[in-house]
Amino acid sequence: MYEELMAVYEKKEGSPLVFQPRLRHWYDVNFNAGTLPERYHGMYLDEVYGDLGVPPREVWGPRRIGSELSGYFALSIVDGDDVEIWTRRLSGYMGESEDDYLITEYRTPMGSLRQVQRYTEHGTSLMNVEYFLKDLEDLKVFEHILGERSYGWDQSRYEWGNVRYGGTIPLRANLERSPVMWLIVGIMGFKRTVTMIWRHPEEMKEFMGVLEDEHVKQIEAYRGKPVEELNFGDNMHHDLCPPPYFREYVIPFYQRAMPRVHAQGMVASSHFDGNLKTLLPLVGETGLDGLECVTPLPQGDVTIEEIKEGMGDMFLRDGIPAVYMCPWTPVETLGSHVRELMEAFYPRLILGISDLLPANGGVERIRLVKEMVDEFNAEL
Amino acid sequence: MAYEELFGEIKSALVEFEVDLLKVKTQEALDQGVEAEKIISVLSEGMDVVGERYEAGEYFVTSLIIAGETMKEALELLEPHLSGRGGAKRGKLVMATVAGDIHDIGKNIFTTLMGTAGFEVVDLGVDVSAEAIVAAVKEHGPDILGLSALLTTNLEQFPLIVEMLEKEGLRSGVKIVVGGATVTDEFAEGAGVDALAKSAVEGVNICKAWV
Repeated sequence: MYEELMAVYEKKEGSPLVFQPRLRHWYDVNFNAGTLPERYHGMYLDEVYGDLGVPPREVWGPRRIGSELSGYFALSIVDGDDVEIWTRRLSGYMGESEDDYLITEYRTPMGSLRQVQRYTEHGTSLMNVEYFLKDLEDLKVFEHILGERSYGWDQSRYEWGNVRYGGTIPLRANLERSPVMWLIVGIMGFKRTVTMIWRHPEEMKEFMGVLEDEHVKQIEAYRGKPVEELNFGDNMHHDLCPPPYFREYVIPFYQRAMPRVHAQGMVASSHFDGNLKTLLPLVGETGLDGLECVTPLPQGDVTIEEIKEGMGDMFLRDGIPAVYMCPWTPVETLGSHVRELMEAFYPRLILGISDLLPANGGVERIRLVKEMVDEFNAEL
Repeated sequence: MAYEELFGEIKSALVEFEVDLLKVKTQEALDQGVEAEKIISVLSEGMDVVGERYEAGEYFVTSLIIAGETMKEALELLEPHLSGRGGAKRGKLVMATVAGDIHDIGKNIFTTLMGTAGFEVVDLGVDVSAEAIVAAVKEHGPDILGLSALLTTNLEQFPLIVEMLEKEGLRSGVKIVVGGATVTDEFAEGAGVDALAKSAVEGVNICKAWV
């Protein structure tokens, strides 16, 4: 798979198409619920990938939740000496309690910040219910924290992944969301970010510059490391980040970031998993090499043609709406969509599910799509 | 007719999100003896213009949020002048993200816009059991029940809730609108709900047509 994936990064033609679906959510939920299909009893996730004949997406060793096999973020973070980080888990083990919260508090000489996260439906990820940043004063505290923060390459995670999949898939590592999406999804929340930008545009723009400095540090930490692709985890959606925000905050950010990425001999993509109709005509201006997810109709709001037109020569990773993997969608619908997708995007395509196999998705549909990909490749 | 110019300025200030000007003009109207209810109806006309601009692609969901914030500040000025008389609501919405699902961004945008559109909103929050939703319908007697789910694993809650409402004899008294990126037309139709909203704004328009 390594060469085939590299061919997409390097814009080479004639290389076989790769199908790289994300299965971890499906696996974790069904593993915890005891509902894995009998065929997969006793198998760990990478063995399921092996059985299906498809490669995983990221392999970065132990620690942290939310990754395909073991880690999204291949950097270790070191905070300043005067930053105390307190965490408190309110109840239970993973998935045990419906009131399962993680409270994180930063205590610094500049003040304190508090975030409350709730474990998601199946205990496999975290979702914010209270954000760190609530007012202008909090921005100063966060700026202090970030000013002292440093990033280092996590060699132990790399070594683990390299043993498991070295030479099989090119290493991909993740970065924070672009500043405005980092605020909206990660640290301030949607409504508050919108009202803060409206009420305090200068202060918020300046603060986004502070967040951008973190990206510079993160990208720099990957310099010289065996990473081929960097991925910004934007969770882009045009209701959250409409064209005026995209033009003012997102495009300039990427136009500054991408030369740094390319100067390190890497490519970069971003995770666009919401409605995108009004943003796709603008994505070419970012300079990004590819986009991940880009959910088509009926789950997203764009057709395959609109995606193709908007993305131009960028590579697409994914493209199959997750609902097409669910039992109520006829298999024929899935089949015709996959054929259309392959014909429209190959060779600028890494096929996958937008954005992952649902817990009640049919894993045998993965095998079906894999067979279609094999047939497609046989005709190349 | 004497106040037409002032009302135009109030509307314009709201539509352009000029919150300080809106507060000045709202106060001016109050000082001139205009009833608070009348000013609210002028503000509602302004919100309709905001909605039209959204439909035309000139405004976005973020604009609707800012419009809501702008209007809220005017309403704060008007509130003391409404006491005892109250403001008639357009209708009542009970809203929930269904059991097993804690996604709330879409739900929160929808409830914000519904409040701005003049609906009384009872937001039950996320991960709400079918039993609690049916109990809330019984308690609040809403015109509309809004259900949200993002995960495909939780969509089955929709037909379950419909069935429970029917058993309780509550279904005919309430319209049901559902939303969530993974909800398809086919699924919504099979679930027995009245409408599927593909966006928060579409949901508001559906509700406005109902009530």
